[in-house]
Amino acid sequence: MMAEEKCYVYLNGKPMGNVEDGRAFAQEIRKNRRMGLISGEVNVAYNKKLNEVHVLTDRGRPRKPYIIVENGASRLTEELKEKLRNKEIDFNYLIRRGVIEYLDAEEEENILCALTESEITQKTTHLEIDPASNLSVIINSGVYPEYDTIGKHGLISNFIKQSQGVYALNFKNRFDARAYILYYPQQPIVNSVTYRTLKLGRHASGQNFVVALSTYYGYNMQDAVILNKGAIDRGLGRSMFYRSYSDEERRYPGGQQDHFKIPPATAEGYLGEHAYAKLSEDGIIEPEQQVKEGDVLIGKISPPRFLEEQTSFGLSEEKTRDNSVKLRTGEQGVIDSVALSESTGATKIVKVRIRSEKIPELGDKFASRQAQKGVVGLIVNQEDMPFSESGVVPDLLLNPHSVGGRTTVGHMMEMLVGKAASMEGKTSDGTPFATKGSELLKRYGDILESNGFDRFGDEWLYDGTTGRRFEAKIFTGVVYYKKLMQMVSAKLQVRGRGPVQILTHQPTEGKPRSGGLRFGEMERDALVGHGASLLLKERMLYQSDKSEIWVCQNCGDVGYMDYVKNRPICLTCGSTDLKQVEISYAFKLLLDEIKSLHILPRIRMKSE
Amino acid sequence: MAIAKNNSVKVAPGEAVGTVAAQSIGEPSTQMVLENFHQAGVVSAIRTKGLPRLIELVDARKVPKVATIEIWPEKAIMKDLAKVKALKKKIEEVKVKEVISDFDENFNNASMQLTLNKEKLAMYDLTDRGIVSKLEKIEGIEVSSADHVITVKIKKTKSADRSIHGIRVMFVKVRNMNIAGVKGVSNIGIETTDDGAYYLVAMGNNISGVLEIDGVDKNRVYSNDPFEVMRVFGIEAARNLIANELKDTMKVNGVDVSYRHLMLVADAMTFYGTIKSVGRHGIAGSKNSVFARAAYEETIKHFTNACVFGESDPLTGVAENILIGKQVKVGTGIVKLSIKKSDLKEIKGK
Repeated sequence: MMAEEKCYVYLNGKPMGNVEDGRAFAQEIRKNRRMGLISGEVNVAYNKKLNEVHVLTDRGRPRKPYIIVENGASRLTEELKEKLRNKEIDFNYLIRRGVIEYLDAEEEENILCALTESEITQKTTHLEIDPASNLSVIINSGVYPEYDTIGKHGLISNFIKQSQGVYALNFKNRFDARAYILYYPQQPIVNSVTYRTLKLGRHASGQNFVVALSTYYGYNMQDAVILNKGAIDRGLGRSMFYRSYSDEERRYPGGQQDHFKIPPATAEGYLGEHAYAKLSEDGIIEPEQQVKEGDVLIGKISPPRFLEEQTSFGLSEEKTRDNSVKLRTGEQGVIDSVALSESTGATKIVKVRIRSEKIPELGDKFASRQAQKGVVGLIVNQEDMPFSESGVVPDLLLNPHSVGGRTTVGHMMEMLVGKAASMEGKTSDGTPFATKGSELLKRYGDILESNGFDRFGDEWLYDGTTGRRFEAKIFTGVVYYKKLMQMVSAKLQVRGRGPVQILTHQPTEGKPRSGGLRFGEMERDALVGHGASLLLKERMLYQSDKSEIWVCQNCGDVGYMDYVKNRPICLTCGSTDLKQVEISYAFKLLLDEIKSLHILPRIRMKSE
Repeated sequence: MAIAKNNSVKVAPGEAVGTVAAQSIGEPSTQMVLENFHQAGVVSAIRTKGLPRLIELVDARKVPKVATIEIWPEKAIMKDLAKVKALKKKIEEVKVKEVISDFDENFNNASMQLTLNKEKLAMYDLTDRGIVSKLEKIEGIEVSSADHVITVKIKKTKSADRSIHGIRVMFVKVRNMNIAGVKGVSNIGIETTDDGAYYLVAMGNNISGVLEIDGVDKNRVYSNDPFEVMRVFGIEAARNLIANELKDTMKVNGVDVSYRHLMLVADAMTFYGTIKSVGRHGIAGSKNSVFARAAYEETIKHFTNACVFGESDPLTGVAENILIGKQVKVGTGIVKLSIKKSDLKEIKGK
């Protein structure tokens, strides 16, 4: 048997001494705290494994309120609840009376917490104030999360971060690098207590879509969604995109400085007159100008990168370099506003904000609050969309296959409740754990029935193109959908010909440089595997870095074409017997590099 | 039917068989589990399996993680469990340390006393005399025995290492001395086939040792160590072994790869007369193109050597032709337009 170890007590991580029974000691502190003898901000935790007591009083600990349970009974009695309802007492009263206490992460390890009052047993020590309070704020601002799988909640929080809406009410005065503003944001028809408490409706980031759970000629396969053209024309999912550009008149050592102005034609890297056409005299663009890709927004000249050599005539005329700010590739829009300011270093700062309208188009991403995300697969004219008996045309068609495997029952709930609530003209509550599913179905089913609908939300729909009724009833409802920041207009990229890298003569990489897509090693192997040698040559040579060199037939070195004498010449051996061959520029580089090491690679050629 | 089947698997000239084989093996093996759980006990169960085994094979490791050997008794005794057990006893390696009950090392006079365990001796049919005669084969020691105690003494010669380390090394060697059975073959398990025959599965790879034992079917000894198989049976046997082991490894993981691809790999690995690994130390490192080798791994090393020795590159392979931008001699690339000289004259005449 090991000797009984002493239980050490730590105060904010510092060892203070030891006690015989750590558990009893912690319990004693708690007792005194609840009686008000010790500050309510003290937390204590007993670690059974290490046999240590941690008393924590330092700042910055996130803490959460719990109702204290004693001997299998909640301290928040019916009597107290009644008083609360009558507003005779308040939350702080309950804290003072030791009904509710705040626990930090450390002390939470010691408790056994019941979600609801009915779950309380003799061993229970605490009770959640509301079952929903063990979910995060983000999940709580959604509706019916208790009907979705836990994995979806992570996705949902991501989508909420990516949604377009009104992120700040002063967006017009801000120069954020990127901003997305929804044209007609709506508050959700179905919302939750948290949503209302935090007044998230002021920053609404979505719209209530009429959704039918239906396929449409296969255009909503694999999580695509169909949108109604009529709805889009009426402003559904329409948003504004702001991008800010900023530039500064920087100072350089040696007294040189940048200047905002239309660069002179002598400047290095001058883009041509048309590029600066939209600039006003001060070299800065004016608001409400229509701009397109490559247009200069802020004209700026900078001193050259390297100091110039002194010429015999003294200093040569000062050279300048064009360092203007251009609109990004693939973007267009209208200059929204221009701001002039000064930095702390007393240099001029210009900020230009571009606004462009983003109308939902093929490939834009939408998501509901139940992680049902999808990209637009087809935009259908309103007359071709399915319509209901009452003439309602859905805004969005969601493929029923998107629901089954993912068990997003919350989505179905919201459709049903949203439909019922919109018939009543009221918002409805979807707070987590607030209502039982069966009650909910009954309540909203009754509402639907009283409004002449099927109590399960199913409706007869008619094919818009043929006018025929679909063979089965289709589940329709109203769901709050978000337009996410992922939009094709910012991602679309094509290239036929385009810029190449200076060093390798191979196509550039990446969207901002309008680059190509890499034909990588594995892709290359696939062509080799197919034996498609001519296609391979086209990919690796003609569409990449083909170059023509002259190879000396005498010594095997690379020569060049002397256009003055109109004959090729080899400088190594002086021969004029050279042949032109096609090789990759990368190989030419390799030869050059070997030559730079004083080793001569020779190319011996054989006629085929 | 057979002819049609045969024709359907014929390979066209110029087909990139190597690339296709690599892709056909590589893609499904990404689905194989990297590490498998180890089971204690049965030899057949602790053999390396799955991706590690596959890597072991293509890397041509000199010593496999778990080398096993399958020993089949001769037909006559195959179904007789008693005789198979006797055979097992004959083969199983016995070391000195397994038959002693205690040992006493004396570093002062560099001697060790081994107390033999009588029961163990009886179990392995060994005598004091027998053990002594085996131990006497070790050079540099004197062995004497009396009443189940063997005394080992290091001789006082000039070459004898009488430091504590040297003494310990020698004694460990003595205790690990093989005194019965086939050297290196241990943990023998008896397995049964569906038709009631017995065979032995053991750890170890000493094929030549096993072949010397009477009662072993000389035609069926099988080891999973390609290098041992190469030493004993030759390179062709090793080639078949590699292909077979690859096949079995893939099959166990439920990966279905055509045997032809695996044969090609085995062929390429054994083409040079010894087993070469797939990689820069083996096949890829022995390509005859400088560019191909440099494009793969250790670029600078290959270029420096090529420069020093004035190598030339005939530009016949795939990698080098892609590098310089020539048409690759694979698939459609091997076809050339040719015309008879006599025909050429005719055309010119017109």
